[in-house]
Amino acid sequence: MITAGIDVGSLSTKAALMNETWEVIGFDLVLTGGSNRTATELTYENVLGKAGLTRNDIGFVVTTGYGRENVPFADKHISEITCHAIGMHLLNPEIRTILEIGGQDSKAIRIDEAGNVESFAMNDKCAAGCGRFLEVTAKAMGLELTDLGEVSALSQNTVRISSTCTVFAETEVVSLVAVGTPIPDIVKAVHNSIATRAISLLRTVGISGPLGMSGGVALNRGVVRALEEALGMKVFVADNPQVRGAIGAAFIGQRLS
Amino acid sequence: MEQERNGQRRSVQYQNLLRLIGDLRPDAEIDGPQLRASRMRSIVNCHRLVEAYKERSRVAYVSEQFPTEIAFAFEAIPWNIESMSNMLAQSADVNRILQLTEEQNLSRDICSFLRGPYGMMLANCYPRPNVVLTNNQPCEGLSKLIYISGKRYSVPILPLHTPDTIDEDSLRYLVKQMQYLISQLEGEFGVELAPDSLRAAVEHSNQAREYFSETIRLLETHKLAGVSRELHEIFGMNYFGAKQNAQICKVLFEEALELAKGEEKKGKRVMWIGQAPEESHELLQYMNRVVDIVYWAPLWEANALVLDEDEPLRSMAHRAILYHWNAERMRVDTLRMCETFGIEGFVISNVWGCRNMMGINPMLRDLAASRKLKYLTINIDLVDRNNYTFNHIKNRVDAFLELMQ
Repeated sequence: MITAGIDVGSLSTKAALMNETWEVIGFDLVLTGGSNRTATELTYENVLGKAGLTRNDIGFVVTTGYGRENVPFADKHISEITCHAIGMHLLNPEIRTILEIGGQDSKAIRIDEAGNVESFAMNDKCAAGCGRFLEVTAKAMGLELTDLGEVSALSQNTVRISSTCTVFAETEVVSLVAVGTPIPDIVKAVHNSIATRAISLLRTVGISGPLGMSGGVALNRGVVRALEEALGMKVFVADNPQVRGAIGAAFIGQRLS
Repeated sequence: MEQERNGQRRSVQYQNLLRLIGDLRPDAEIDGPQLRASRMRSIVNCHRLVEAYKERSRVAYVSEQFPTEIAFAFEAIPWNIESMSNMLAQSADVNRILQLTEEQNLSRDICSFLRGPYGMMLANCYPRPNVVLTNNQPCEGLSKLIYISGKRYSVPILPLHTPDTIDEDSLRYLVKQMQYLISQLEGEFGVELAPDSLRAAVEHSNQAREYFSETIRLLETHKLAGVSRELHEIFGMNYFGAKQNAQICKVLFEEALELAKGEEKKGKRVMWIGQAPEESHELLQYMNRVVDIVYWAPLWEANALVLDEDEPLRSMAHRAILYHWNAERMRVDTLRMCETFGIEGFVISNVWGCRNMMGINPMLRDLAASRKLKYLTINIDLVDRNNYTFNHIKNRVDAFLELMQ
């Protein structure tokens, strides 16, 4: 049976298809925009089209992410904490700690040797340190989100940005730009700020064994570098890290169907 | 001063309270039948409320876990200013109360369990106290609020300083303070404390605690719907020393005994640690469908301590020290609870701004990890709806419930 996993996130909506041999046979990603239902329909149709399948070919649909309960054709909805844990475990069974940074929240997850969640921690009260934080600061510097990783590699000096609040951080960035601070230094400071918050979360659950990273922010090499420098350890980044939740959901579908 | 006194007439304060909660309180929906003990407690609370607003009544503001037997021995009504916050949380007009505190420049970052009672005082809804009785608090904010309340109503503030360690010196030190406090109360109320009055209060307290402890013992082997919650309410009410409280505890024990004969509630057992929302709160309703929640505070070792009827002050002192938050003792006690009650997970609830809960969080997480227990940490506001929405925490609650299934 082929199963589908759909991760309805705050910034993007992802879909993945998996066959009975646990092979990912297709995935897709669209921006969520104003309607997560529309985004879900769109990415589902996209992924089916990519795999040359129709809805009738799908035996079970598991949804995850913030909009998971807003998908009428879902057979089951599961939190993305469980889905990312499984999704990362499938990719690398050695991983014991996962950092997932999405659009509006970040999660530290500790898993056992079977991929079961042992404990987790999430950010509270503010989206500082999440994808939205990067989006806002990139905009303040007039950069594309996708360029941040490369730009920060050019940094020569250490600059500090507080990690308390997304909006305040944006103000700090604007002030630094205004006084002529080199953009690469500011970008690196933003990455360091994200790493500081993430490490605080990771320490809450305890880092046990290899650390893996999923979620869209894992695509940013600058953030990964900042984490590796601060932790003094290698961070395993999944291929297509933003769809690990959807893949985990599709796998849960295999187990449930 | 006299004008202020007139403004603080209890009949006026009672009308203010009724306007606030009587007409505006929305219907609470609770899954499952309500226990007889809960209904009885509501009636006792109503009676207490009505009595407290009578001009001739003796009202003693008390802080958490104050030895209320002393208040009852003086026929005073103990009024826990903090527990009123839970009642506030059910009020549709809570915003107006909190707004009053902001108008007095109280920061919204301060725990709403403190802003709520302060707002009630500002709204002139609490009954004017005759005296304020307080003991050492893990919460410094509550201690300050207690002192503020005494100043506000220009009444004596009688504190007990509770040491942290249990030894002969500490017990003697606390007993001496209690004796002094009693002499102060005698002066304030113009009566001499009759030994029989204290003895009766202690007897009532012990009777209640006996049933309370027996009910807790039933929870060791049975999952009894609503029983742990009722124990939590009785603990929070801290009405030990009143005859009615012994009655409530007796009825609860009898009901628990009946429930234990029936079908057991399903779901893994988790322990709710920290401030708890009122029973009909959406979060509890949501979680109750999946797990069996037992509440931490009623299970504390200190609650089971039987007072020595010949030397009541000494045993009250012992209990007061046990109630004092001490991380090492708390760890041992929590570990005992995990083993005794078959706990499989923790819900660590932290009201925004509560440094005490934040302080013990690492100890609780370590303990959970050492016993391979799952835990959920949630930061919420149980009173101020401007600081909380279920959607903010739903994701982590769902993840936790998935772990428990």
